[in-house]
Amino acid sequence: MKKGIIITLPRHDDLTEYLSQFSCYIIEEAAKNNINLKPLKDGAANKANFEKVAKKLDYNFIIFNGHGTDSQIKGYKDEVLVESGINEELLKGKIVYARSCHAALKLGKECISKGSNGCFIGYIAPFKVCANSECFSNLLNDRIASFFLEPSNQIPISLIKGNSATEANEKSKNAILKSINKVLRDPLEYSPLIAEDLWNNFENQVVLGNLNAKI
Amino acid sequence: MKKQTDYKKPEISKEMKELVVARIEALAPSNLRFFIGDSKGMTKEEMISHIESSDEIGKSIVKSHMSFLKAVASGKFMKAINSA
Repeated sequence: MKKGIIITLPRHDDLTEYLSQFSCYIIEEAAKNNINLKPLKDGAANKANFEKVAKKLDYNFIIFNGHGTDSQIKGYKDEVLVESGINEELLKGKIVYARSCHAALKLGKECISKGSNGCFIGYIAPFKVCANSECFSNLLNDRIASFFLEPSNQIPISLIKGNSATEANEKSKNAILKSINKVLRDPLEYSPLIAEDLWNNFENQVVLGNLNAKI
Repeated sequence: MKKQTDYKKPEISKEMKELVVARIEALAPSNLRFFIGDSKGMTKEEMISHIESSDEIGKSIVKSHMSFLKAVASGKFMKAINSA
């Protein structure tokens, strides 16, 4: 396996647009640290291309931006990229971060099953994001969405900086708690429902497998 | 004859739905959009509609709200945010 990152950036609906755009901070950090990064943008985030790239490049860190189920991670227009019992071996031994609902429940566990030294960081429930509809023309200025996506970005950014999977998870969760505190301190500006959805992500974000895994 | 206890309590009760709907009506501003799973960004009206129709998204919303309220009631939430 080689040191490097594959990142899917489908942009076929509002949420995947947010995830993909906010991934620019991850891509910047990888460049600063001279880590090779292969983006799979829009239609390139399809199953055939993902499998080809994953096998050919054999990079040790994969970041998924896309919808999911307990046994699937999806790409552009919800085409299934990885599915348990079909091609989950593509992820074995690697570090995976999936911003995909429920994927840690079953697929994540299969990726880190016996013999694998990899880890899977993801969610055992829906990954939630709140957004300000007034910012839809300039997503990176959306303060509310940033409460969710900056802590989430902390996972790959911490790994890129050389931290372990468990350290990256802790930094991310700490950042979620700080976001919650900011929201609750300004009730005139921010709805407490934002804090609730942040809590959902805090409670349901898990690290499976090798907790000491590093890129 | 079936005993009262033989009846399985519904997973999401009518009272839970009413509570969550009331909270969303009171607390969600009109410009906020909620992304849950692969839903498009929902307005508060759309969330309430899902809850009232008891579909999978509606059930997910209610479960998530109830989980949060339990975390607050148990002290788990305050302990966590005070640790940050």
